[in-house]
Amino acid sequence: MTVFVIRRLLQSLVVLAATAAIVFVGVYAIGDPAEMLIAPDATPAERAQVEASLGLDRPLPAQFLTFVVNALHGDLGRSFVFNQPSISLILGRLPATLELAFVAIVIALALGIPLGLLAGLKPRSATDEAIMTGSILGFSLPNFWQGMMLIMIFSVWLGWLPSTGRGTTGTIFGVETSLATWDGLRHLILPAVNLALFKLALVIRLTRTGVRETMPLDFVKFARAKGLTERRIVLVHVLKTIMVPLVTVIGMEIGSLIAFGVVTETIFAWPGIGKLLIDSIMRLDRPVVVAYLLVVVSLFIVLNFTVDVLYSILDPRIRVGRGA
Amino acid sequence: MSTPTQRLAVAAIALVTLGGPALAADLVIGTATEPSAMDPLFSRTGPNQNIAMQIFDRLVQPDVNLGMHPGLAESWTNLDPTTWRVKLRADARFHDGKPVTADDVVFSLERARNVPNSPAPFSNNVSGVTGLKALDATTLEVKTAEPTPDLMERIGFVYILERAAAEGKSLQDYNKGDGTIGSGPYRFKEWVPGDRVVLTRNDAYWGKKPEFDTVTIKFISNDAARVAALRSGAVDLIDGVPPADLPTLEKTQGLKVHTTASARLIYLALDGTRDESPFVTDLAGKPLTPNPLKDVRVRTAIARMINTPAIVDRVLNKAGVPAGQLVPEGVQGHDPALKPIAFDLEGAKKLLAEAGYKDGFGLTIHSSNDRFAGDKDIAQALGQMLSRGGIKVNGVVTQPYNVYAGAATKQTFSAFIFSLGNTTPTSGPGLRNLFMTNDPKAGTGGFNRTRYSNPAFDKALTEALSTFDEKQRLAGIQAATKLVFADMPIVPLYWQTVSWASKANIAYEANMSEDTSAALASVAK
Repeated sequence: MTVFVIRRLLQSLVVLAATAAIVFVGVYAIGDPAEMLIAPDATPAERAQVEASLGLDRPLPAQFLTFVVNALHGDLGRSFVFNQPSISLILGRLPATLELAFVAIVIALALGIPLGLLAGLKPRSATDEAIMTGSILGFSLPNFWQGMMLIMIFSVWLGWLPSTGRGTTGTIFGVETSLATWDGLRHLILPAVNLALFKLALVIRLTRTGVRETMPLDFVKFARAKGLTERRIVLVHVLKTIMVPLVTVIGMEIGSLIAFGVVTETIFAWPGIGKLLIDSIMRLDRPVVVAYLLVVVSLFIVLNFTVDVLYSILDPRIRVGRGA
Repeated sequence: MSTPTQRLAVAAIALVTLGGPALAADLVIGTATEPSAMDPLFSRTGPNQNIAMQIFDRLVQPDVNLGMHPGLAESWTNLDPTTWRVKLRADARFHDGKPVTADDVVFSLERARNVPNSPAPFSNNVSGVTGLKALDATTLEVKTAEPTPDLMERIGFVYILERAAAEGKSLQDYNKGDGTIGSGPYRFKEWVPGDRVVLTRNDAYWGKKPEFDTVTIKFISNDAARVAALRSGAVDLIDGVPPADLPTLEKTQGLKVHTTASARLIYLALDGTRDESPFVTDLAGKPLTPNPLKDVRVRTAIARMINTPAIVDRVLNKAGVPAGQLVPEGVQGHDPALKPIAFDLEGAKKLLAEAGYKDGFGLTIHSSNDRFAGDKDIAQALGQMLSRGGIKVNGVVTQPYNVYAGAATKQTFSAFIFSLGNTTPTSGPGLRNLFMTNDPKAGTGGFNRTRYSNPAFDKALTEALSTFDEKQRLAGIQAATKLVFADMPIVPLYWQTVSWASKANIAYEANMSEDTSAALASVAK
């Protein structure tokens, strides 16, 4: 286990270093940040002043070297646009994204597993057909369009739910969150559903496939022969077996929910990190883009690791650190 | 039949219902862009100024046509070519109750020069100023290095902070509201980055009384989502209405659209200076020297091939006004004699033949595709029009603005679409940035991406801009404008039309500078 952790850690450092270098150079190749930042009627003197104060007048290798030296001291640079440490900008927006991802994944699991079980236990029944057809919609309709439709139906026509912004936040255990207030919850519903729909479809399909594969297996027949109730067989033994693929996929999907909820956050004007990323790319705010991707890569590394450990708990046959 | 009492009761009820909202109304604005800081002098870009202008005052105030009116400065006189005396109004007070004094103005103007790490500083506004002195509480003396007739157009647009509250404050302090104390119609309450800014009414405002108790400005960058937020009633007013949505919104009951032609010119820049231009070819696709775009007849021919009214009509849903110069009517420096260039295919072909390109030449058109409404569609339309005019269009290439802008500045393109928003009372600064010889030392030609250089024009404009007599100055600017457009270094296409949309009970002053501010909104009578 220790060897496994150390090896993972070293691999992660290499990945982080490579990401930093690629993104740094990549943003440089896109265009000139000064061009995006200065006022539309700036004079050449103002432009020169901006380039000098942000260090953009220096050659790329020199800029990169400064970045690396500062990064090793724990400083990922200041945003060109906001003049604030980029890492604190990202951490400031992170709670909004985390709560959105959390609620979305809860919706996906709370609805997806029961629906998937229903469909899997009664294959080719009307219920199964209805659930599977519904899940195709979740899969195939573009996220962007789904979001607009949710807004049109629930905000514009029915007027039930707000369509934009985060609403009032409250504090739970010292964390500022929309989950603490009624207004915040109302604001959370539409974006969370929008984010959850795709994952919901995914969970339904994974669960259904798992059930279909597991039900004909010997241990289920044996359990039946032993006289266990169908309820116990499905909810304890079958469910536990199908959790392994579910945990793998969901673990990775949580990462993508947090890191790339850009579309949902943009449509619902949700002040999370996805929106910060897209704005920063458009404005070539290089320190923020680099810091963001480093944070995201770290996130995926942690998630990967957690998934691997969870594996071994769910399935005792798998041992972390042996073989591949 | 109704008794006088009944009639009185009806009138009273009507008064209450009509007058009610005006007494205690809140306003929620959905805006497309987001500020980057609450320090009004941190960035001169539009999104930051939109917030700053509601909290802070300036020495002068612009009207909807960019015209300049007294703001905190009541009057100003020019004692000698380099000395100015500015008289402040005595009744202006900061949000903490202290009077606005000449010393606060000195502090703000000095600070404008040096805001740490500012990505878009106000430094040019104060660049020529060599001395600032508060003679008494309401009198300010300004010395400049050189005669600067447009001094008030420069220092006049710097936001005035309170020295006692703002001195020594960091950007983080301003963002939290510490030091964010102005004398404007609304007070700063809070900023939630990515989500909203909240302002409250300043009852002691010296100017037109602000109408709303609380103003919430929500940042909704996605066009469709912003329109949906208005339609769902979540916001009262939105800016940046996409042209495609205008017809629907106009027809929707309970909503109103507020439209004006802006001073943002969309133009086609032509690389008419280099002997060889990267995207100009002969008919076989080989580089062509000399570059035909150097010939004014070719540039004029291209201008005549473009049917701007058709573009505005079909591509832009009428959200534009065909242009023949830099600024539209109403902005000082506009020359009524300069009409939009008439569409004239035969004339264009004749000019091409005269210039020796009877069979045309090869050209690629470049444009951004996410900068302003319809930019990529216009590029396609121009491609078709130019090829009908006898030019072999090798291609139409569009790029995201963050890639495109830098490339255009580096002279990567031959014919490219760009925009310039005028925010100043006269077209002078725009002309200087766009057409004067690119000379970083002299501070001219900052956005002269074609490197156009015409000594006669440079001389005419420099002279005009250093003339103190207002009438003569404008006449000089107009003469310079004529000079430059006879040369056609760029083909002016159209001025963008900008729109706001609101609930029917909200009135809004659509303005040329594209400002979105609660001070411009009111409860509709």
